[in-house]
Amino acid sequence: MKKSFLKPLRNLFKTEPQFYEQSNQQRIHLKEQDISSHYEQNLETFKSIFSIPKNFDVKIHDFTIRALNRRAFLLYISTMVDLEQIRKNIFGPLIESNQPIREIQEIVTFPIERTSTQIGEITETITSGFTALIIDGDPQCYLFGTSKVQGRSIEKSDNEVIVRGAKEAFNEKLVDNISLIRKKIKNENLIIEAHVVSKRSRNDVLIVYEQDLVNDELLKTIKDKLESLNTDSIIDLSILEQYLEERPRSLFPTILNTERPDRAVSFIEEGHIILLMSNSPNCLVLPATFWALFHSPEDHYLRTPYGNFIRLLRFMALFISMFSSSFYIAITNYHVGMIPPDLLMAMAGTRERVPFPSIIEILMMELAFELIREAGLRVPSPIGPTIGIVGALILGQAAVQANIISPIVIIVIALSGLSSFIISDTSMNFAIRLCRFLFIFAAGFMGIYGMGALMVLGLFYLVSIKSFGVPYFAPMTPHFSSGRDLIIRPVPMNQRLRPGYLKPKDMVKQRKD
Amino acid sequence: MKQQRGKLGIREYVSIAIMMVGLKATEETPARLYNMAQNAAWMIPLLSAVFFFIPLFLLIKTMSLFKGENLFYVVQKLLGRYFGFFVCLVIFVLSSFAFSFDTRDYSNIIRAFYFNTTPLLVLFAILMTICAYGAKKGIQHIGSVSYLIIFYVIISFIVALLLSTQDSNIQALLPIWGAGKLAILKQSSQRISMFAEFFMLTMLVPYLKSNKEFRKGTWIAYFCVSIQTSVATLFFICLMDQSLGGMGYPFHTTIRYISLGSYIPNIEIFFFVIWIMGVFIRFAAFLYIIALMFGHIFKIKDFEYLIPLLATLYLLIGNMPNNPIEVAQELKPLIGTISGPVFSAIALLLWLSALLKGEFKHAKNKNSM
Amino acid sequence: MQKTRTVCKFLLIVVIAFSLTGCWDREEMEDKSYVIGLGIDRSYHKGKIKVTMLLANPEVGSQQGGGGSTEKPREIVSFDANDIIAAKVTANSVVSRIISYDLLKIIVVSEEFAKDPKFYNILNDVVFDKEIRMNAYLAVSKEKAAKYFLKNKPRMETRPHKYFQYMIDHGIENGLIPDSTLFRFFKTTDGGADLFLAMNTSAVREKHPKFKGEDEYFAGQLNASGEFDDTQFIGSAVFRNGVMIGKLTGQETSMVNILDDTTNMSDFFLDIPNPFPGKRKSFAVRVIKKENNQVKMDLKGSRPKIFISIPLKFEIMSNPSRIDFAKRKNQEVLKKQIASHFKTELEKFLKKTQKELKGAPYPLSFYARKYFGTNQEFEKFNWTKSYLKAEISVYPEVEIIDFGKSPKKNLKVEK
Repeated sequence: MKKSFLKPLRNLFKTEPQFYEQSNQQRIHLKEQDISSHYEQNLETFKSIFSIPKNFDVKIHDFTIRALNRRAFLLYISTMVDLEQIRKNIFGPLIESNQPIREIQEIVTFPIERTSTQIGEITETITSGFTALIIDGDPQCYLFGTSKVQGRSIEKSDNEVIVRGAKEAFNEKLVDNISLIRKKIKNENLIIEAHVVSKRSRNDVLIVYEQDLVNDELLKTIKDKLESLNTDSIIDLSILEQYLEERPRSLFPTILNTERPDRAVSFIEEGHIILLMSNSPNCLVLPATFWALFHSPEDHYLRTPYGNFIRLLRFMALFISMFSSSFYIAITNYHVGMIPPDLLMAMAGTRERVPFPSIIEILMMELAFELIREAGLRVPSPIGPTIGIVGALILGQAAVQANIISPIVIIVIALSGLSSFIISDTSMNFAIRLCRFLFIFAAGFMGIYGMGALMVLGLFYLVSIKSFGVPYFAPMTPHFSSGRDLIIRPVPMNQRLRPGYLKPKDMVKQRKD
Repeated sequence: MKQQRGKLGIREYVSIAIMMVGLKATEETPARLYNMAQNAAWMIPLLSAVFFFIPLFLLIKTMSLFKGENLFYVVQKLLGRYFGFFVCLVIFVLSSFAFSFDTRDYSNIIRAFYFNTTPLLVLFAILMTICAYGAKKGIQHIGSVSYLIIFYVIISFIVALLLSTQDSNIQALLPIWGAGKLAILKQSSQRISMFAEFFMLTMLVPYLKSNKEFRKGTWIAYFCVSIQTSVATLFFICLMDQSLGGMGYPFHTTIRYISLGSYIPNIEIFFFVIWIMGVFIRFAAFLYIIALMFGHIFKIKDFEYLIPLLATLYLLIGNMPNNPIEVAQELKPLIGTISGPVFSAIALLLWLSALLKGEFKHAKNKNSM
Repeated sequence: MQKTRTVCKFLLIVVIAFSLTGCWDREEMEDKSYVIGLGIDRSYHKGKIKVTMLLANPEVGSQQGGGGSTEKPREIVSFDANDIIAAKVTANSVVSRIISYDLLKIIVVSEEFAKDPKFYNILNDVVFDKEIRMNAYLAVSKEKAAKYFLKNKPRMETRPHKYFQYMIDHGIENGLIPDSTLFRFFKTTDGGADLFLAMNTSAVREKHPKFKGEDEYFAGQLNASGEFDDTQFIGSAVFRNGVMIGKLTGQETSMVNILDDTTNMSDFFLDIPNPFPGKRKSFAVRVIKKENNQVKMDLKGSRPKIFISIPLKFEIMSNPSRIDFAKRKNQEVLKKQIASHFKTELEKFLKKTQKELKGAPYPLSFYARKYFGTNQEFEKFNWTKSYLKAEISVYPEVEIIDFGKSPKKNLKVEK
């Protein structure tokens, strides 16, 4: 009934943009064909496909193989290949060798990755940095894996800084990322599967998991989900994350995005699945629960009491950053009796000259803090620190002196802002910061009752979130057997089980003797 | 993952049960108990628990014959289609009224103690909205939330009671028999409605993994709740002595009174927040169960969609009484005095008919085979 | 999806609109004027009372450093009103902000009005107010409450809430005034069996007070000289069923505090007659009460017998006769002296309560309850009447934990 009522309304707003597209039917048809036996025709075909000579870094070498005495051409994209290798091991031998050998494999000193006949396939391999060799009269095309892309080397982790533990972080090169994982799990059961997720730019996604741990059903769900993506291009893992999430509009993240290989590996070891993508210096951990997002690797590296101390600190920070400003509103506007008399007098005394209601005051300051924070991120790094000082000093001190803000508000906002930095996960951090605003409105509306109502509402919502079938608060509720690593972490010796919500093939991490 | 869906863990079930019944200690129940038995009021919850134990035990025993079926199924199976339908309807109507007046009563508390000038309807509507939202999410999620906060509820409750001992006098409990032994016994038998929610909770049997788990959870919760209500009443008597009788809501008076030294004199808001969260969960579970009953009676499969509708209906019913006193002094006790005996009678009736129909023997044979 | 978006937008608008309009209970805290002290007097108009409000100015003394305000720290308003709740509205014709009882610390009633049977009825209104808390104190002033607040000009704590907080807290700790919260007032009055003590205060010093022994003063009688405020908190006013019937001196109040286990009096100082030869007639002791009293009753006969044993610990603070307490004999003498002093004083005082006040000044009836099975039996026994006939004996259990600095060497003597 509700739907039928809303339908005309929805149709009113629904506007599908009109556009005209150029047909590329001809090109698709061409790609499906095999390479022809006529050398000249092949040359023409590839020249037209790669728009030579308009496309300046696509090189085509037309030459004669002396050993076979046949014409051939090499095709590669010069910015993506190792030119030295081609010159020395492919091009050189082909021109110079004059022994009568029939097999190409024996002439070149570079391993042939594979051979292919289909034009489309050849084109795709060339675009990922391969070199193609097409010989007159040969129905096959030889492909050499000569790719060499430029990129950053392995660097320190910037966004997830820890004091103790490995410092290296993922970078944009897939090969590096995989080797970072491989070197931590020396086991043949570590499977790295490649998937292509988009049609036009053909982005690879690597699925990493341990074969003898991961739940097959879960793996299948994720593969199906990847399979079902129908889009031209996904250029980054973070965009893939949004494609994969069950509730992309939700405030709360359901996939963990980390740039630390050690963290990724610890999740693989528990039976999670990791997604990697070229050009993305991070990885996705699926499924992720609230706890996975809330924990930091540091908790595990530090000794148990210290680790738990920072956990509790973080837990407190979560509450402070979420509730301090709204609690201030609720108390000062509705439940004044709660404030100790001295403090109340001081607060009322300073607020007397402030022209705004306290909710406006808080909102203004929250906004200012978010501005400073965002500005501090975007400012070129040499002046970055200055922004912080300017923000804190000018906005804080001057606003108080100008009677725009009362000093207590500065304390409240500073406290909540500072605490929000302790939540290290970016998505969680945003979730908390946005929730804060909701709570401010709730508190302004109905005081502590509004806050309580919103809190319960939020909890109801949170427990109903699922990340690939795993409830958000598992294994706390609903209960699953696990390492009991939730708010307080036991000593590593007692974390005997893998999380039960993943249904791993092997539950027990450490057998009791 | 699949088999986990739709099942309620025993922890979640116990926390729902504790929330649903245990929160009674925070409304006017202790004061009403005091008026009945004076300073022996703390015995009443324990004794009523003993009295209500018999029908509840029989009911659970009868229920265990039908593995994984809810109360209404059992009622209709044992009492026949028409009479069964009538009994179900009675249970539904009683719990509906209990729900509307309870929610109204809690809104009254909120208004009286914390939001004096806010219109009652607004407070009431917020309460109903949140409950409806929670109930619509399903009992598993209600269970999860209640498990998440049950510890805070219990801890804050204990802290409040302990802080109250600063000014309490244990001798207020004496003379030990209060209004007299006979009076206590008489009143206890009349207060079995305190545990009537356990009767409704049998609607949730299909959501638990097994009957055994349900039985275990129920007894754990039953034990906790009777102790909790009794202890709370005891502390309130110690703190307020004879003032308790004239007091509307002792828990709220207590949390307004207690303090952490002269520098943090008032801390009621902390207790209030946790309490109000408990209240939301309590009524969300309550509403879900009522919707479940409704769905079962009228054979509606997707009863979840009815929840907003029912919530609105109850909001209107609850809004009908003119003043808080009418709710707390007349309507609630009326529902209480009816529902207690009626529910125990139904439980006995079910057990008797099961016995007469030979279901117990039947089940035994089945097991031995 | 369009649907969710519409709903979200709608919700957002509702939230913003509601939160900004300032609905219902929302009030900015600087919009309120906080009443710290509330005075209640008899009015000359029939059926009315005279209400005095002591309002704190939040601007004074709240800012550290820099300027400060030239405003006065407080405002006092007196007027006639029907009751103290409605008075909030009336006061607004004088005071610029909304009157709030959130910080109400003390309710002062003039002696004259406290003796009026109407008083309990008037005070009972505080139960119905959301803002007044039951841990506010009830005090009785010798003069009119309106005059009391006007005369009360603290020199050190200009902020009134701080002044009353310190004054009352330390008074209770020293045992010179009773712990008379509203909560205890209503609890005792509802119970009906015993008397309630409210603190006695006065801001007017008597012109020529008689010199009396240590602490045997009513409020206003202590003859201190120097530069200070005239307000005194000492002694207590006795209420039976919500009506004031008499007064106790500071010393008597501290005796009640010794007898009463429900107050949290910390240690206090006392002068005990000196049993040893010497010029000075008394020596100072510090009395520490940690354990509860033991009360036994024999309620069978026509005259009930009550035995109270009081465990007390002492520290000797002065030694005017330069006695060597290392000797057992001296210790015994001292112990006996303290015990007999306490016994006679307390028994004398309790006899006075039976004769003059006609009731126990603290919840003694609680101890009698355990001898009865049911409330009916207890009511039949009629505690109020029986107490008057009762034979009360007090047994102080003296334990000296420190004899102080001995003239020769430091030594601690075990019990």
